[in-house]
Amino acid sequence: MNGNKTQKLNYMKHKSKFLLFAIFTLLYGSASAFCGFYVAQAGASVFNNKSEVIIVRDGTKQTITMLNDFKGDLKKFAMVIPVPVVLKRNDIRVMEQSLFGTFDNYSAPRMVEYFDQNPCQKWDYESDMYENLKASSRSSMEDKASSVYKREKVTIEAQYTVEEYEIVILSATESGGLEEWLKSNGYAIPENANEVLQPYIKDKMKFFAVKINLEKARQMNRQYLRPIQITFNTPKFMLPIRLGMANSNGEQDLIIYCFTKTGRVEAANYRTIEIPSAKKIPTFVQQNFVQFYKDVFDKNYEKEGKNAVFVEYAWNVSPNWGVKCDPCTGNPPIVQDLINAGVGWIDAQQSYTGNVFFTRLHVRYSREKFPEDLTFIETPNNATYQVRQIITHPATGDFQCKEGITYLQDLRTRRRLELQEMQAMAGWDSDEYPFYVELGDGTKVPVEKEDGQNRNSFPVWFHGNGAPPSWLLPVFLLIAASTIYLIRKWKWRNPISTELR
Amino acid sequence: MQEITLPQTDARWYQIGFQSAFLLFGTLVLGWQQEWWRLVLIIATCLSVQVFFIWRGLQNLQSFRSALITALGLCLLLRTSEWWVLVLAGAVAISSKFFIKINGKHIFNPANIGIVAAIFFTGKAWISPGQWGSDTLYPISILIAGFIVCYKVKRAQTGFIFLGILFALEFAKRYLFLGWPMDLVLHRFSSGSLLVYALFMITDPMTTPNHKLARMVWATILALLTFILSARYQIYEAPVWALFLLSPFTPLFDKLFQANKFEWKQNTKVKLYETQK
Repeated sequence: MNGNKTQKLNYMKHKSKFLLFAIFTLLYGSASAFCGFYVAQAGASVFNNKSEVIIVRDGTKQTITMLNDFKGDLKKFAMVIPVPVVLKRNDIRVMEQSLFGTFDNYSAPRMVEYFDQNPCQKWDYESDMYENLKASSRSSMEDKASSVYKREKVTIEAQYTVEEYEIVILSATESGGLEEWLKSNGYAIPENANEVLQPYIKDKMKFFAVKINLEKARQMNRQYLRPIQITFNTPKFMLPIRLGMANSNGEQDLIIYCFTKTGRVEAANYRTIEIPSAKKIPTFVQQNFVQFYKDVFDKNYEKEGKNAVFVEYAWNVSPNWGVKCDPCTGNPPIVQDLINAGVGWIDAQQSYTGNVFFTRLHVRYSREKFPEDLTFIETPNNATYQVRQIITHPATGDFQCKEGITYLQDLRTRRRLELQEMQAMAGWDSDEYPFYVELGDGTKVPVEKEDGQNRNSFPVWFHGNGAPPSWLLPVFLLIAASTIYLIRKWKWRNPISTELR
Repeated sequence: MQEITLPQTDARWYQIGFQSAFLLFGTLVLGWQQEWWRLVLIIATCLSVQVFFIWRGLQNLQSFRSALITALGLCLLLRTSEWWVLVLAGAVAISSKFFIKINGKHIFNPANIGIVAAIFFTGKAWISPGQWGSDTLYPISILIAGFIVCYKVKRAQTGFIFLGILFALEFAKRYLFLGWPMDLVLHRFSSGSLLVYALFMITDPMTTPNHKLARMVWATILALLTFILSARYQIYEAPVWALFLLSPFTPLFDKLFQANKFEWKQNTKVKLYETQK
């Protein structure tokens, strides 16, 4: 368990103590006014081998902030990213890691808890849970005069020192030369990077190569990598993931935090799918929600054929917009966070009245299943969404009334359903938790209430394992064709026979 | 000798059948999250506008099949979160058939102009080209179903020339020039939205040129236009815009290449020779 995770779990425990205290002032089920407490979350830190990216898109202007989970010796860190243009010095910044923490905490999959009311008692409850907090500071930047020279069909278009990073922007006419240049300058390039570099070179892309300036890093006492931010103009709304897969058949996780003016961002060349949300799961999942979400994600990843992009959060987070999550797992990003991320269309005076739409996407990609770089669409879809699972604590006290007995019966039924839901979502074996249905962790109760969500939707079939059953498409088409064919035959017979008669 | 009439299946029934199958599959299996009332709203709008024109005596009763095809096309491609955008798209689509005409032939493919109107004028609609995902069975099934429908209305060349040329261009650019591996090219072409669009929308016999040769030239230009819009201008809904831009020139093709206008065949006349007794 890493540090972050421990912290989150500690926080969770602390929170649940408070909630135990709060039990007696809660009224069950006023879902329209208040949707429960946030009690746990599964943030980006849960996934190994992952990177995080913030993309801000405003017309053709794009700001990308990249956070790498590089864990080795800083000396060995090197990163090469294809970019469409030669970046100017002012287009490169070094940000603080806390920026990612803010967005991650805020948009992470979450769990909420409800409390049943004892049917033999009555209370009232009201709450407001929105708070605001601190800004992260923007880092300053220094530079070094850029120089241009030629070697091995590689042109150094620009060279900067930005804080602890040494940055070189290269263009090349031939991949062999570029590979050689990178290798001789200390960039560890995978063996078969050549075949991936070549298409980018042909596409007139430039290469943004980053290394650590060890001396600066030592002076600044840096023990970890800070995110690098670049801004440029491009009609292509895409993220080059192919280079990172050059030498790897493994799976990598990528969390993308997108900010746009209009609405949700979705992938143009892969399916974009929402993770199941608003599901009622057993109360004991609270103790291990991090693992639970990880298993839910793994299961969905498998189910969708390992080549889908998942939405984990979508909401307007504009400073003047009221509710930004329900419930919130962290402090909402404040204006300064958004500006730091590159949201250039708002200002500190908060005079901007339009949208700042936040979409969190989660991709687990591999060479085999993601042959093409990710391209995106900025849609006008403003529908809000968050991954939010629900636990419902049973009521406490004495159930010596008619309703109380019914309640206890209903509770058992509900808990059986919760276990089934847990098994369907995360693959946890429900048979391992027989005590739960026997009301093993309390002597309490709730009655199921309709959640109200998705009531108008078609049910989506086949929640089992594996990819969606694609064989059903030819079956559907065959049924359609044969129905029409049979009707035709039937129509044929009648008119002829009548006319011949 | 006696002449009798053999009723032929209107190809539109196959198109309606296949498009319904796509919609059913997308909604139930792929979880497109279309709420049922949205689909009902689009279909109801299209049919009622069509009924209005039938009532005004501008169309025969059979034409409701075309309206249903248009409605299903909109259901398959258009995404929006506003109900009124759906109504607008459906109304524009169907009424364009009656208002935008040259020489008795409507100019724009109804579903196409409906989508363009929704995206361009409201800014509240979009297309999800990635909604099918990639699976080898999808392109195969769509191609076969598309071929059946196109073949029946003698428009198979239009759809397949369009796809063939677009594929050749993508292949030349991505595989031959840029040097990406072949699976990338195939991935780009396994998009269900593109295939459904190519075989079920642009092949509409009423809005393609009447002459066979003209249609081949027309499909080639359409493919080039689509390629340029997507490769040069990064427009993800390039096929929609390409068809919209090319449609006004269809009458020109009809003028240059003379041929009879397409009519939906209801029946085939068959001559029966009486046998001598």
